[in-house]
Amino acid sequence: MANLKLALKLLWRDWRAGELSLLLASLVIAVGTVTTITLFIDRLQQALVTESSSFIAADRVISAARPVPDEWLARATELQLEQAAHLSFLSMVFAEERAQFASVKAVSSKYPLRGKLIVSDTPFVGGSVIKHGPPPGEVWLESRLMPSLDLAVGDQLDVGSASFIVSRVLIKEPDRGGGFNNLGPRVMMNLQDVPLTRVVQPGSRLTYRYLFAGDQNNLQEFEAWLSPRLGQDYRQYGVKQGIQGIGKTLERAERFLLLGGLLGVILAGVAIALSAQRFSIRHFDHVAIMKSLGATSAKIDFLYLIVFVVIGIVATLIGCGVGWVSQLGVVKLLAPFIPVALPDPGLRPFLVGAITGFVCLLAFALPPILKLRAISPIRVLRRDLGNQKMQDAVTWIFGICGSWLLMWWYSQDLKLTMLIFSGGVLAVLLLGGVAWFLLRTGRVLGMQAGSVWRLALAGMQRRGQENTLQILVFGLAIMLLLILVLVRTALIDEWKAQIPDKAPNHFVINIAPEEVAPINAMLSGYQLRSQPLYPMISGKIVEVNGKSSRELDEMREAELGEQHGPRAASTRNLTWMQSLPEDNRIVAGQWWADDYQGEALVSIERDLALANSFNVGDELKFAIRDSELNARIASIRSVKWDNMKPNFYIIFSPGALDDFPSTYITSFFLEKDQKLFLNKLLREYPTITVLEVDVIIEQIQTIINQVTLAVELVLALIIVSGGLVLLASIQASMDERFHQHAILRTLGASRKLVMGSLLVEFSVLGFFAGILATLGAEVTVYGLVTEIFELEYTIHPWLWLLGPLIGTLMIGILGTLATRRVVQIPPMTILRELA
Amino acid sequence: MDSADTAKLKKRKINAAIYFMNMHAVETMVKAEDLGKTVETSAGQLTILKGINLEIKKSESVAIVGESGSGKSTLLGLLAGLDTPSRGVIFLDGNEITALDEEERARVRGESVGFVFQSFQLLASLTAVENVMLPAELKGETGAGKQAHALLKRVGLENRAHHYPRQLSGGEQQRVAIARAFASSARILFADEPTGNLDTKTGGVIIELLFELNKEFGTTLVLVTHDTNLATRCDRAIHIDSGMLIAAENTDSGYSAPAVEGN
Ligand SMILES: Nc1ncnc2c1ncn2[C@@H]1O[C@H](COP(=O)(O)OP(=O)(O)OP(=O)(O)O)[C@@H](O)[C@H]1O
Ligand SMILES: [Mg+2]
Repeated sequence: MANLKLALKLLWRDWRAGELSLLLASLVIAVGTVTTITLFIDRLQQALVTESSSFIAADRVISAARPVPDEWLARATELQLEQAAHLSFLSMVFAEERAQFASVKAVSSKYPLRGKLIVSDTPFVGGSVIKHGPPPGEVWLESRLMPSLDLAVGDQLDVGSASFIVSRVLIKEPDRGGGFNNLGPRVMMNLQDVPLTRVVQPGSRLTYRYLFAGDQNNLQEFEAWLSPRLGQDYRQYGVKQGIQGIGKTLERAERFLLLGGLLGVILAGVAIALSAQRFSIRHFDHVAIMKSLGATSAKIDFLYLIVFVVIGIVATLIGCGVGWVSQLGVVKLLAPFIPVALPDPGLRPFLVGAITGFVCLLAFALPPILKLRAISPIRVLRRDLGNQKMQDAVTWIFGICGSWLLMWWYSQDLKLTMLIFSGGVLAVLLLGGVAWFLLRTGRVLGMQAGSVWRLALAGMQRRGQENTLQILVFGLAIMLLLILVLVRTALIDEWKAQIPDKAPNHFVINIAPEEVAPINAMLSGYQLRSQPLYPMISGKIVEVNGKSSRELDEMREAELGEQHGPRAASTRNLTWMQSLPEDNRIVAGQWWADDYQGEALVSIERDLALANSFNVGDELKFAIRDSELNARIASIRSVKWDNMKPNFYIIFSPGALDDFPSTYITSFFLEKDQKLFLNKLLREYPTITVLEVDVIIEQIQTIINQVTLAVELVLALIIVSGGLVLLASIQASMDERFHQHAILRTLGASRKLVMGSLLVEFSVLGFFAGILATLGAEVTVYGLVTEIFELEYTIHPWLWLLGPLIGTLMIGILGTLATRRVVQIPPMTILRELA
Repeated sequence: MDSADTAKLKKRKINAAIYFMNMHAVETMVKAEDLGKTVETSAGQLTILKGINLEIKKSESVAIVGESGSGKSTLLGLLAGLDTPSRGVIFLDGNEITALDEEERARVRGESVGFVFQSFQLLASLTAVENVMLPAELKGETGAGKQAHALLKRVGLENRAHHYPRQLSGGEQQRVAIARAFASSARILFADEPTGNLDTKTGGVIIELLFELNKEFGTTLVLVTHDTNLATRCDRAIHIDSGMLIAAENTDSGYSAPAVEGN
């Protein structure tokens, strides 16, 4: 008890004398940064998930061909999940004079749970948000149905044996989905009206979807409860699996945010280690004096552990507060750029911040503080004796284990952790050696240089070990920043390339051969940049090298279960092409020559080939309409499925499909105000089908813009905390430098000489750090980009110039500014302070 | 002399016997036998002290003198239990400190020993009065503040009590250090060139203070010095040269050695 009181007293006195402020500050920064980033990521992620949830109109969906057991819905109610449902089926719908095959969606009154329905009174234009779907007795029609059925709002439409009033035009429904899965034009009605239509009979093809939304934890609980009950007939999915083209983007963005947070944690740890070491070194004398006055090692341990715990608690509290405030600031600052409202943060970020603070303290600050117990009291007689080496095996092991555990705990991703970690360790080892070597050669070169250089380089040499460490820390900080910049650039480039501006946002299918020319003319008449017309014809593979494809599928299914990739025997859209589509890449075999006219060849998409063990040279037999066609596999190709363009599993060589009657597909880009063109097109060619993907493209672009912004923000935050680490590191070497330069000043060194030597010293350190950072960044980014983000890697020549430049400028300027004081105050003051 | 010597020898034997029985010695405060210190340096082994035998009685004041580099500070550090010898035995206030570990030595220091150093060794983050309170606080004693203020008053610094060391002059700092040394109610005081960093006049004041307090508290005093004046004020001087004792005279009348005067 007396000891505790004494410890607190000493702590208070240390604090009052300003001895603790640096350690406290770096801990607060560490906890603050991590909390800010985690808080921000947490809120942003919630916002993104909410925003993305609109793509499936819910947080979770169960999809099936028949209703789900009541028990499941009861369970959802128990967990306080909001619920809605819809039923989709294909049916003929009848207007007064015309009829059309439509995709009917009957929605319950709560639909949609997420996202917005947009309706209008005229097709293709305008629109306002409406909360829920049509009331009983009414139907809403997708724009293109209005001209093709020759209907206006207020007219009557029959579905099965029931009649409805067309009360609105449906401009957008949140979970329409993209691409070509949902070909039929939409008719939306109320779920209650379905029995009246009598179209739902045993044996009809129905898709039931049950929508759920609510608290994340409850959703997870529901999912866990549900998954063993799902079986073969029911499928459950969330946002990521639910949207074509966006799942990967979200996943990568999440990984990036995680990576950012991780690097923040490491930087924070380094800052803490540095200031704890400085704290320890400054307390060597204190400990020696206390020991000469009779304090035992156990007492020293106790006194400093109390310091440690109190600082930990105080720093954590302040850090969490700082995190909360700065995150609020960031959100406020960015409010104009973030289109979605950010939900309130959970408790997790604070917990993460607090735990990070304490683990950092344990891993990085404890070892130097525990060193104090071993300080020999003989130090009071001879100052050079009884010093403790600050970097020994224990320090490193603590630091390494600590950061590894933190990273793993934080990311819950072993691969990512291992990658960054081994990259970091490798970099530290390599860079340490190189830094040491550079310093040596640096001095040899400096011997021939002028006095400023000689002074600077001699100083660096004298503190060779400390400087190696400092270069390492500078290098590590710059490296982490470069890594983040590079990964961000790779990601954003990829996202930009995914859907370029003015990418085709409308598709026309079912174009008869004789309509090709006039439609082409009409498109160019309106100055629409259209894609080439591809022939499209449906068919399927029936035999592979003489073996039935159906049997192959069954075998594979028995072996691997449901999830074995695309089936061999499914009916697919076939086409032929002269040249390889832009986004496709050959992974095996060869694409045919431009003037190829020989026997039928096919090019197969990679996943289809992999799943069914197709190889180049295999003979395939196709069933198209009523006839058969043999073709040999000439190549296997990768396809970017998320580019919102017509993509094909199977492409034939030119001429191979000439004997089969085919329809054609094309695509073009329409501005919003040009949409009325579709009215004209459809009136003139009522048999063609127009697919509008502009809405989904817009949605995807919104999401991409948002995640891009998030990525940039996290980058900025990390850059700030990286700068703080650099400052902490400079601060850590300050006493020594101050002392040295104060002595020089008393010896009459000019201001210019002292500042010059400081500038040179820091710039040289920065330059070396920059080189090391570049090296480390390239290697780590290679691993990250290829392994974690699954992107292609290209080397960055500009980095080799920029890295050292950034290092030189940043460290040179920061360092000189931070030590400027040495020439501004009388040397006596400094010497007295440091005595 | 002869009879004194044999008597001394006898006494030493008796004392040693008492020590080995781990009894409390009444007469002898410090005793070293065949003390040696060797350190490893980059240039090989360096012997700093060899074959030192000495004994210091309770309430005695002893000066350790010798040329710079002769090993005075090293010897002081060993006798005070701040460091361990390479060979030999040391008894300090009834404890065989060479047989103790660092923890136990720390306890002995806390109970019996006070220090005054050439470079003052005050804690920079503590005020003058807090520095003086520190020994008592480390022992967990109460009333440290009152005692500290009294001591500061005694050394003439009562109105500087709340100043930090860096706000005090060298002489003032050393006075604080002396106050601290006596605050621990030490039975023996070790001082390593307490006036080494001070001018002659200030040094004189410090010495006065040291001896006054020493007398008041009845403390044993062991001090290392270059200062002849200071040495003559002690009961006795121990002269070392190149790590060896060359003379240990008992001079109640004062001490004067040519080697020291030549300094
Ligand atoms: N740990 C050590 N390692 C190497 N050499 C040492 C060590 N301790 C002492 N020495 C050397 O031993 C010799 C005696 O040192 P010591 O400090 O005891 O001398 P001193 O008599 O106090 O000198 P001064 O009067 O200058 O203070 C010196 O040459 C010193 O350099
Ligand atoms: Mg000395």
